[in-house]
Amino acid sequence: MNDRTSGRPARIVAVALATLLMTVALAPVALAMDRARVTVDRPTGGQPTRFTFQAAVEPDAAVTSIDFLFEKGFGTEDISVRAVLLEGLQRIDAPYETEVLESGAVRLVFDEPVPAESNLFIEIYNVMTPITGGEYVLPVEYQAVLDDGRTELRTLDGLTFSYDTPPIEEAISRWMDEQAWVEAWNSVKFLDLFLKPQQIVRAIPLLFTGWLMSLALVLVAFPISIVTGLLTSFMKMAKIPPVRWIAAAYINVIRGTPLFLQIFIAFIGLRAAGFRVPDFVTAVAVLVFNSSAYLAEIFRAGIQSISKGQFEAASSLGMTYAQAMRFVIIPQTVKRVLPTTTSEFILLYKDTALLAAIGLFELMMKSKNFVALSGNLSAYVVAAGYYLIITIPLINVVSRLEAKLAQSEHGVAVTTSRKRGFLRPAKKDEALAEAAASQGAR
Amino acid sequence: MTEPVVVRIKDLRKSFGTLEVLKGVDMDVQRGEVVVILGPSGSGKSTLLRCVNQLEAPTGGEVWFEDIQVNHPDTNVNRVREKIGMVFQSFNLFPHLTAKGNVMLAQRKVLKRSKDDAERIAIEQLERVGLGDRVDYYPSQLSGGQQQRVAIARALAMDPHVMLFDEVTSALDPELVRGVLDVMKELAKAGMTMLVVTHEMGFARDVGTRVVFMDEGVIVEEGTPTEVFDNPQNERTKDFLGHIK
Ligand SMILES: Nc1ncnc2c1ncn2[C@@H]1O[C@H](COP(=O)(O)OP(=O)(O)OP(=O)(O)O)[C@@H](O)[C@H]1O
Ligand SMILES: [Mg+2]
Repeated sequence: MNDRTSGRPARIVAVALATLLMTVALAPVALAMDRARVTVDRPTGGQPTRFTFQAAVEPDAAVTSIDFLFEKGFGTEDISVRAVLLEGLQRIDAPYETEVLESGAVRLVFDEPVPAESNLFIEIYNVMTPITGGEYVLPVEYQAVLDDGRTELRTLDGLTFSYDTPPIEEAISRWMDEQAWVEAWNSVKFLDLFLKPQQIVRAIPLLFTGWLMSLALVLVAFPISIVTGLLTSFMKMAKIPPVRWIAAAYINVIRGTPLFLQIFIAFIGLRAAGFRVPDFVTAVAVLVFNSSAYLAEIFRAGIQSISKGQFEAASSLGMTYAQAMRFVIIPQTVKRVLPTTTSEFILLYKDTALLAAIGLFELMMKSKNFVALSGNLSAYVVAAGYYLIITIPLINVVSRLEAKLAQSEHGVAVTTSRKRGFLRPAKKDEALAEAAASQGAR
Repeated sequence: MTEPVVVRIKDLRKSFGTLEVLKGVDMDVQRGEVVVILGPSGSGKSTLLRCVNQLEAPTGGEVWFEDIQVNHPDTNVNRVREKIGMVFQSFNLFPHLTAKGNVMLAQRKVLKRSKDDAERIAIEQLERVGLGDRVDYYPSQLSGGQQQRVAIARALAMDPHVMLFDEVTSALDPELVRGVLDVMKELAKAGMTMLVVTHEMGFARDVGTRVVFMDEGVIVEEGTPTEVFDNPQNERTKDFLGHIK
């Protein structure tokens, strides 16, 4: 080996190259060793990171030892080192010993000097980086043995690397990795699987956008459904039979088939027919189509639960059908259908989850992807939380509205049967009419 | 009598499916008359009143209001109805509106009165029925008798030419009947033309200018209260009045 280092003039070349994943500033001067560079393999701080050091030994000297002088804040207690020496493309055996100095510096001592112009490739595993990102300098010192046998301490002081500060949830999650209570918690299989703190912390921001998507879907679809539902209910009560039939057929088909199926028909059907409609629009359309049918029945039952006498009183005063509806019937209906309509909102909000099936990035889809990636089910629990944030308060609202209504109207709340869910068993329309009649005779 | 006819009913027939409820009723009501309609349950009294303002569509015959045939296809029923006040047994106040709101609504939407006018008239009419201190109450906060008087005020605010009363005291507790009857009596005194279906014989005798006795869809007997009550001709009338007493 030593023969290769002989008779060549000393040379200082300063080069620092970009890290794998982010920028590293150019180091201008005062570097020894050719083409030296250091890279880190993690884009963010606060985690065990692999440092890779590459350099070519200068032509005038062999290297006997190298110190990596990590700054304060870098943890080097648990490191391990792998050094590879290359002459040309030939890998050479170069035994070495590793030592972590008091100062935290990592020292490599080679059993044999590393000959001039050979390529050094050193990996330091498990260096704990400070969480705060930015540009750091990694000063390197090494012992060079010159041709004449003198040794010299040389420094490589322009090597830089950088990484980013991790997002807060990542920081918290990594902090949790270190905590004893987290470890104890996770030692329970169930908790580890469903309620792993590190995963929950990561899932919360990730699922947030999905939650916004679900909310956007229902907040756009529901108001439209109220309008179309009301129109449908009027059609269902129309005097002209064909109009009634169309409304009834629509309502029955929608209520008689699963929303899941309707979603597939809409999405796959539109695609098959060659329409290029944004998924969000299609999704809103299906939700509106579905919800209108249920709302139409709720509104119809509500309108018909208003005593006939109300309409007659309005008529006897000379009001038109439209005026009677607008000023007498609808205002009373609103109060009665409010609890059921709110329930319908809750159901529709939950039903947005079905849109995961066609790949819309709403809450369910997001959580599914997260679970697939992390192999941990905690994201589902987070998704449940996001659903409940909205549904629990609304469920309370519904109960309170129902109680209030029961008090003020002697129990004439409008409920129509709707699929699964927490709604109490629906009264039949006949019961409604009866209730309405007793209401009128009061 | 020389007063003009306000309501004229000619050979009025009404069937519900196969059930013939009115079997040819003729009646003229002149301005200022208070016609009290008596008769057993199911005889068609309510149906007769409801045919006058077309809440029921007659299946035969004619109903005239002043010079308009009410049941003519070309007639705008709503324009006629605004001139025919009706008060129901079950009040039918609009529960989402206050007493004042109830009286104002049709004035605003049908007669297109200004808010101020409608409000002024509403308060006037409510005072007239003795509810000047209840204008801002909701129906649920009023007694049955008070509700019924609001309903009367609501009809009166439209300046009707005739008022139809269908058993307006039947749903009331006995102690509340008086107040409503007093309002109706005042109304009659003021010259309002009225068709009144009632079981209040005292009212019929005191206030009625004419009493009509109906049974099974026809008018069986009619005359002044004295004639009908003190000297009924028809067996069914006698029978009915006998039961009532
Ligand atoms: N909408 C309707 N459909 C079918 N039948 C009806 C309808 N309205 C009334 N009837 C029937 O017509 C008949 C007369 O009813 P109406 O209400 O006119 O009687 P009434 O003289 O007012 O009786 P009451 O004193 O009980 O009020 C009854 O047999 C009743 O059942
Ligand atoms: Mg009746």
